[in-house]
This record gives sequence, structure tokens and C-alpha cells, in this order.
Amino acid sequence: MLTLLRDLRRLRRAIALERPDRGRSLAVRHVDAGSCNGCEHELILVSSPYTDLQRFGIGIVASPRHADVLLVTGPVTTRMREPLLVAYAAMPEPRLVAALGDCALGCNVLGMGDELVGPVEALLSVDARIPGCPPSPDTIAAALLELLDSHA
Amino acid sequence: MSPYRDHVQAALEGDRTFAGLYAVASRGPVRVAFARIDGTIDVETVEVMDGAAPSIVDIVPAAGWDEREAHDLYGIRFDGHEPLRPLVHHDLDLASWTVAVQGRDAYQVAVGPIHAGVIESGHFRFHLVGEKILHVDARLFHKHRGLERAAEGAELDDGIRYVARACAACAVTNGVAYAQAVEQLLGYRAGTELARARTVLLELERVWSHLNDISAVCAGTGLAAGAQRFAGLTERGRRLNAEITGHRFLFGSVSVRGSRLTLDERAIRAVQRELAELRAQATSGWRELLFNRSFQDRLPGVGVVRSRDARRLGATGPAARASGIEEDARTASPDLGYDAFVPAVQNRALGDAQGRLEQRHLELEQSFELLEALLDRPLAPSAAENGGAARQLGASRVESPRGATLCVVERDGDRVARVHLRTGSYANWPVVAHAAAGNMLPDFPLINKSFELCYACADR
Repeated sequence: MLTLLRDLRRLRRAIALERPDRGRSLAVRHVDAGSCNGCEHELILVSSPYTDLQRFGIGIVASPRHADVLLVTGPVTTRMREPLLVAYAAMPEPRLVAALGDCALGCNVLGMGDELVGPVEALLSVDARIPGCPPSPDTIAAALLELLDSHA
Repeated sequence: MSPYRDHVQAALEGDRTFAGLYAVASRGPVRVAFARIDGTIDVETVEVMDGAAPSIVDIVPAAGWDEREAHDLYGIRFDGHEPLRPLVHHDLDLASWTVAVQGRDAYQVAVGPIHAGVIESGHFRFHLVGEKILHVDARLFHKHRGLERAAEGAELDDGIRYVARACAACAVTNGVAYAQAVEQLLGYRAGTELARARTVLLELERVWSHLNDISAVCAGTGLAAGAQRFAGLTERGRRLNAEITGHRFLFGSVSVRGSRLTLDERAIRAVQRELAELRAQATSGWRELLFNRSFQDRLPGVGVVRSRDARRLGATGPAARASGIEEDARTASPDLGYDAFVPAVQNRALGDAQGRLEQRHLELEQSFELLEALLDRPLAPSAAENGGAARQLGASRVESPRGATLCVVERDGDRVARVHLRTGSYANWPVVAHAAAGNMLPDFPLINKSFELCYACADR
């Protein structure tokens, strides 16, 4: 365990991420509304030692009831429409919506029209657009920081 | 017995294994696919009479989801499959899609489709007494995008987009399976260099995927340091992908009838250096996990799948091999660079979470070795060779990080008439439900992560 922590410390020193100059925070709830899993895989690595978004006070929370931002991936399938709206309704106000990835933004979507109700902005008003297929962890981090700066 | 059922029985008693079943259209026919030991896929036609075909689910329990899907999407009934529960359709009536569990103190817990972490959408209905799981009904397909239908009418070379984008974690596997199926129906075959390029991409996909899975199991037990260590390595794996192909998930790197993958002498040396460094780091991280008692204590005996059940339920990939099934589609991939490949198996194949984790480590080592050998010389663009007879239907099976993935393509001239993708995740989902039964509910995330299946390519 000590070696594991030592290795991580070395890695962090080698990457030398900039220290945050902000004293605020943003709680994010992610909803997968039919993605290809690429956005999820990149969103997971937003917490890796290479990006470490938590250092800015931005973290993924377990429930929409604790969230400031609803971060939605995927083209919004018919089957995810209801759960997405329920999650949004559960959030306290003020609340923000971010559309993550090209599918959520309605770009280059490949599925059948009758299985999809998206893009996200067809259902909810979108405050931040994060394009990419999928956007890299650094792109996601930069967009969420911008959202934090413009709203908090 | 119908002649069809007799035939299926005989095929399985011979040297063939069930590889998939799908409906071509709402009036039928239904096709059933078997894999031979040499990798040949036999796709056979089952006539649909008055909207029904005989069920084979009692002979091949692994065909359960396939028949349910064909019923939901194409309205075909399967005589003898009782009850034929909805799979893709989300019937609101709980009794229609769950198995009734009754008795004193039995209760249900509904989880999902939205989960607490960054996880794909899917619903699990747990039937419990106390904290013990008696049974799980998984209701997936929340992410169903109709990709197979959307691909119909696409030009054969272009159809690969729908299949590859079904899932980011299996993009290369799905793409190669599609490309090989189309090449088969056009009468093309991959030469050595094309085979080598595709195998490099497949193994790069396996490397980042297995690193991610080890990180996920650490997260499933609450070992944040291990999860972070391997998340860092996953990031390096994806950066390497981007360096080689321009895309972190290798999107767009596989195409039908050729490869544009180019690595000159200098690039090869750089890639080899990074792979050696990644391998050394993964080995040292793994050693730390082995010495971590509190982590190791969480894994044995959790989510056990015995060899017999794994076979019966159609388990595939690392999950099947961890249960002692020595099968790997890489041993039967003549058009890829896996000459003399031998599947990794453990001495103690106990089929638990520990075994599935250990299996990832063994296969990771194998992938690093394969990549070292494959990248011994520069890679240049290459094309498939024309020579064979054209056919109406092509089928191919490729080993993804999660198991054997079948892709069948039927043509209408130079366009896609029907494409069917049955991924390793699709095959393994029923096995996850089986593995969870008898365990504690709080262990389900760990059991689920020890399989680490995709929802996206099962749902399509």
C-alpha cells in the first residue's frame, strides 16, 4: 500500500498539475441517455491523476438531489427520456444542464429516428455544450471549469 | 422434435458451439449461427411458419436473449420458450419481465437505470431476503438506438460506422468483425500485413480495456489508490492510441478491404518504448495489488460461476476462461495475426471475482507480448486481396476484451440488407445475473465490475 501511494505521489509530481486558484465548487450528476460508452470512459478519467478535476472542487455526486449540474451524454433514446426528466426534476434550483459529446448535441447521430428523442436541448435548456466524439478528459475539465467560472 | 431442433442438437454434440440467433425481417426467416473450431461460422436458416419458429432455448440456454430480442424487434414467436419475457421492450407490467420470487421476507430492490457513479444506463431488479440476493432480473436496452436497422441500406464499406460506433470500448473488435464479414461476402481476404495491422489495433484495445477493468475492480472494493494507479495507466494507454491512430479509442482506424495504419521505423521505436514502460508500470502496480491483503480478501468466493454453468449460459472471454473454459476466438482467427496463439488459463479456475481479475492480468501480459512481436517492423497501408467467390452473407467472430463477438452481414447488391452484432457483453450479461445470485447485495457492484461489460454494444 505504501508503495502504491508512493508511486502515485511520484506520478503527481511528474505531471505537476497547476494548483487551483478558485475557492468554489460544482457538484455534477451524470446521466447516460444512450451513449456509446466513450463519453463515460473519458468522464471517468477526468478524475485520473492526469486531470484530477476534484482539485477545483468539481466532483461527481451520487444523486441529482445533490447536484448543481446535470451532465448528459448520448442522443437521448426514447427509453431514457423519462429517467432523464425525473433526474432533472429531482435537482434543487438553481440548476444547470451540460450536454457532453457530439451525440448529446445532435451531431452525426447514427441511430433510428423512432428510437431517439434527442438532442438534449429538445428536452432541456442547455447551459454548456461540450463537443467531441468523445471529448477528451482535458476538454471536459476545461468546459466544466468554464461553467463554474461563469455561474458560481 | 422438429428437424431444426434435431439439427441444433447434432451440431452441438459435434464440434460446433452456438454463436448467435437473429431474425432477418418480421416475416422471418430466423438465422442461427454456429462456430467451428477452425473459426468458420455456419449461418443456417430457420423458416418461420405463421409467425413462429421452434425454440431451442431448452437445448441452448445461451440463446435465451436472442429469441427474446427477435420476438421484441421482429414479432417472431418461439414455440416452447415459455414465458417469452420482453427484453428490448420495456413493458411497464413488472410481472411480465421479472421472475416472481415469493415467500416470507422476500422483497425487491430496484436499481437504475441511472446509477450513482459514472456508469452506463441499465436497470437491475434484485429479489432479496435480508441482504442476500435470491435472483436478479436485468432490464437493459435503455440505450437501444436501432443501430442495426439504421445500417440497412448503407453501402457495404460504409456500414462499418454503425457497428464500430455501437460501443467505444469494443470499436476495433466490432469494426474488424464487420470488415471481415463484408470481405467474406465480397470474396476478399486479408493478407499478412492487413492481418498484422488489425491485430495491433485489437491488442491496443485490449490493453487499455484490461487496465481500465483492473482499475474498476479496485474501485468496486473501495481501494482508491489502486483505482487511481490503474486509471493513470488507462490514460496512458489511450494517449498511446491517439499517438498511433489519432484517436484515443482508435475510432476510424479499421476499414473494409484495407488499412491506412502507418508506423515508420521511428514511430515503431517510440511505440515499443511506451509499451515497455506501460508494461513495467502495470506489472509493478499489479504486484502492489497482490500484496494488499485487505483488497485481496474482498475477492475470493464472490460472484462464483462454475465451469458447467459458464458453458450452459454461453459465457465468453475472460469471464469464461476464469471459470476454466479454454476458449478464445483468437485461436480461430485465420485472417488475423494470432498464429500459434494459446489462451491464457489459470491453474485454479474458480470462476470468482478474484479469478476474473487475475485473468485480466494474465491476458494483459499476453497482449504486451503479442504487441512486441507484431511491432517488430514498420507498418504500411495495405489492402485485402480479391480472389474468392462472392456470397450473399458473410459472418465473422473476433475476440473482444469481453469475449467472442459475432458480426453477420447480409447484402442486397452492394448495400447492407441486414447486419447483426452479437458482442461478448451481450453473451455475458445473463452470466452476471447468475453470478450475483446467492451473494450479498453490497457485493453486486464488485461482481458487476469483475465482468465490466458494456451496455452500449448489448443495447445497440
